[in-house]
Amino acid sequence: MEWLFLTVSFVAVLAAAMMLTRQNAVHSALFLIVNFGCVAFLYLMLDAPFLAMVQVTVYTGAIMVLFLFVIMLLGAETTTDSSGRMRWLGLAGSGVAILLLLIFAFPIASDMLAEEKPAPLDARAQLRVINAIPAGDAEEFTVMEMGFAMPLAGSVSANVALDAVDATMPDSRIDGVAYNDAREAIRGYTALDAGEYTVIVGVDDGSYVSGPIFTKDLVLSPDSAVSLVVYENEQGLVDVTVLTDDISAPAVGKMRLTLFNAVTDRQVSLVDVGQYTARRSLCDDSSCNSLIPHRKLIEQLPAGGRASLELEEGSYNLAFVDQNQNVLRTLAEYQADRGRIETRVLVREPGVPGSQASYRAAVFSAIGVPAFGSPESVGQVLFIEYLLPVMLVGMLLLVALIGVIVLARPDALAQAERRRINRRRRVNRPLVSVISQQTGADVLSGDYRAKLTGGPDNGADQ
Amino acid sequence: MNPIGVEPYIVLSMVLFLLGALGVLMRRNAILVFMSVELMLNSANLALVAFAREWGQVNGHVFVFFVMTVAAAEVAVGLALIVNIFRERQSINIDDLQQMQG
Repeated sequence: MEWLFLTVSFVAVLAAAMMLTRQNAVHSALFLIVNFGCVAFLYLMLDAPFLAMVQVTVYTGAIMVLFLFVIMLLGAETTTDSSGRMRWLGLAGSGVAILLLLIFAFPIASDMLAEEKPAPLDARAQLRVINAIPAGDAEEFTVMEMGFAMPLAGSVSANVALDAVDATMPDSRIDGVAYNDAREAIRGYTALDAGEYTVIVGVDDGSYVSGPIFTKDLVLSPDSAVSLVVYENEQGLVDVTVLTDDISAPAVGKMRLTLFNAVTDRQVSLVDVGQYTARRSLCDDSSCNSLIPHRKLIEQLPAGGRASLELEEGSYNLAFVDQNQNVLRTLAEYQADRGRIETRVLVREPGVPGSQASYRAAVFSAIGVPAFGSPESVGQVLFIEYLLPVMLVGMLLLVALIGVIVLARPDALAQAERRRINRRRRVNRPLVSVISQQTGADVLSGDYRAKLTGGPDNGADQ
Repeated sequence: MNPIGVEPYIVLSMVLFLLGALGVLMRRNAILVFMSVELMLNSANLALVAFAREWGQVNGHVFVFFVMTVAAAEVAVGLALIVNIFRERQSINIDDLQQMQG
């Protein structure tokens, strides 16, 4: 990789130098195209494929063609750098340039050689925490505060806090680790350097801090996405399970649905119930000898289990069913959009003791960030965060377009010149010539001048 | 996959920028001065992309996008001006363009 970078950058610098020194402007433009191509290649190496393509089309394509067109239109290929009276400026400029290069480049280069490099972007992993503890039970836990803490929604004020400590450097604590609220809308993943971590999970009710209730060693491999699901296991104890999420794009025209079962005492199946959306059970009668027509999508997921499937694009009536064919939760008219990646965590809702338990399929649709530098990621930032600048730049382009049209009118200069001359002539013209122009008679010739001025010729005529 | 840090890119960007600045100072041909300005803009873009990757932020790419747009507008207007100047004076030597002086 280094030799590739060195080769490309050498060609880029060489092309730039050649551009500066050529006397023929067409040659200069061609060398500049080589330079732009090298820069586009470097963009590719910097994980910016979209910008690389824009660079090729806009710079090496449109702009340089415009340059070549103008050079050849003007016949200015060999316009020499004449005069030489400003030559000292060039010499001074090169002196200053070399000085600046030495001043700025040397520290960077020496840093580069001396320091060990930080983990590059590729060696990053994404982590999120899904809190799937029934809110009513979370109150019982004592509190700890490490790193970030996020309150659960609703009436319960228990938090699951998470902190990640670099296993290799126990003293360094990493802030900004992901956390997630099981109840409400989702925060996405947080990017972390790949490596070994010890994750400490605690519960926080907002009033005091306690020790960790859960510690887990975690290895984040590069380019992976990991969900930490905090849930209540079959013994009724808080457990943390580490799920490696599949964030690759689903098959064309499909969405990927992942189900995690966080209900302690049930095995959960996901079924497509078709038209039977209002049923409390899959049984057709009270003795449950036969079942209503349905299609099993995920079968018999134990507590703490996880399963994925890919759904064709379309609308479904989904139901979460336990091992006794009871419908725990229905998702009527569930829209499967192509390309979506969604995680559903089935949790028990906090309820009044004794009443029938209700369940909820919390949605964690955040699918990590789109690949860095992809058109998708650039577009999201461009058209969401920078919408106003985009509008302004569009306006600028419009103004530039109009300006170029005005400038490029073939007779714009000639007309302006004529107007200027006319104006001046009108002001300076003597009155007599105006009269001559209007009457059609040559007032300035001898006879008329004599009549107008009443000179000696007058008397001679009479 | 990519073991190269941000520093080599910054050094390269600096070299290209200085070459562009040299071109602006030394060349008297207006079109070549323009091309040198493009070279400088490009080196700034390269630095932006390198830093964007270093920080894992796409904002740098967005700025590059804006720079490219503005550069395109600038080139269009600038070349139209050069064409007009050439029509009027039969020369695009920037030392000849001194009528705004004083």
